[in-house]
Amino acid sequence: MMLAAFADPVFDSQRNFRELLQAMARPGTPRALPSLPPSPAPATPEAMAVLLTLCDQATPVWLQASHPGLAQHLRFHAGTPLVDAAVAADFALITDAAAMPSLDAFALGDPRYPDRSTTLIVQVGALRPGTGARFAGPGIRDTARCAIDGLPERFWRERAALAARLPLGVDCFFVAARQVLALPRTTRLLED
Amino acid sequence: MDTSSHLARAQWMSLLAQAEPAELAQAMAPYAAPPDAIWLRPAQTGLYMLRGRIGGTGARFNLGEASVTRCSVQIGAHVGHAWVRGSDVRHAELAACADAWLQDHARHARLEAQVLAPLRASRHARRDAASRKAAASKVEFFTVVRGE
Repeated sequence: MMLAAFADPVFDSQRNFRELLQAMARPGTPRALPSLPPSPAPATPEAMAVLLTLCDQATPVWLQASHPGLAQHLRFHAGTPLVDAAVAADFALITDAAAMPSLDAFALGDPRYPDRSTTLIVQVGALRPGTGARFAGPGIRDTARCAIDGLPERFWRERAALAARLPLGVDCFFVAARQVLALPRTTRLLED
Repeated sequence: MDTSSHLARAQWMSLLAQAEPAELAQAMAPYAAPPDAIWLRPAQTGLYMLRGRIGGTGARFNLGEASVTRCSVQIGAHVGHAWVRGSDVRHAELAACADAWLQDHARHARLEAQVLAPLRASRHARRDAASRKAAASKVEFFTVVRGE
């Protein structure tokens, strides 16, 4: 049984794209995703909204859990090639954040082309702005505070270790409950 | 799916795509999409680049663009696809529905008789008429040997 994608492929993906752009411009602040398509398990509609907005036949995607229904859905609606090696992917879908691979398993980019890195789309439990972790960096006035539930503790250690390799690194979108929050590689986690 | 049914499907998809829209609509009148059909890809029109080879074997060249309307629908357990030349949305939807119904073994014979057979006859008649028209305009060239 297959599922449909966006009801209006052009305008729905443009509306979502605007919000993803805004989320990347203002890291650490959740944005509401305006249109959520149906999605086969284990991907959530929020993650599928990001994938269908950003991916096409030119962006290889890596799935954390290979799932025939999900793979077929992505191939049919976005035409994306699916790759087995995380390092070969432009986008990676993390459906189980607790079991996600180490961040250095993904493409970090090339010193001359740091944009050739993997963008992670991570399904998390909840995004709670105003509490939890404090972030600073470009796009954030003073600091931004948002708790990201469901991430393993090692994620922040691995991310801190990558900070030394800027401009190489990975950018992340966290999705939960109709919301998306972006953490580009330039955003720092502050110690409280 | 074995090769023979694969070929059969390609043939009926081709027949549906080349059918006259009005004839297809008439034949498909009793086989409208059920309310629980899922329009996986609602009919959308785009451009396809047609490419050819010079003399059939030479280098590829872009012949030009053609508008194509495609549509995919899920009816029960079967997914029907259609690609139709032109921008007739209804034609693409009907062809996709027919493709989905035709994959259903229980309904295949009925659709074969009520939809495919008339379309096949009509296509044959169109081709026949076209070749007759062409044959009527045939000119026999001959040369007269000039006597010295």
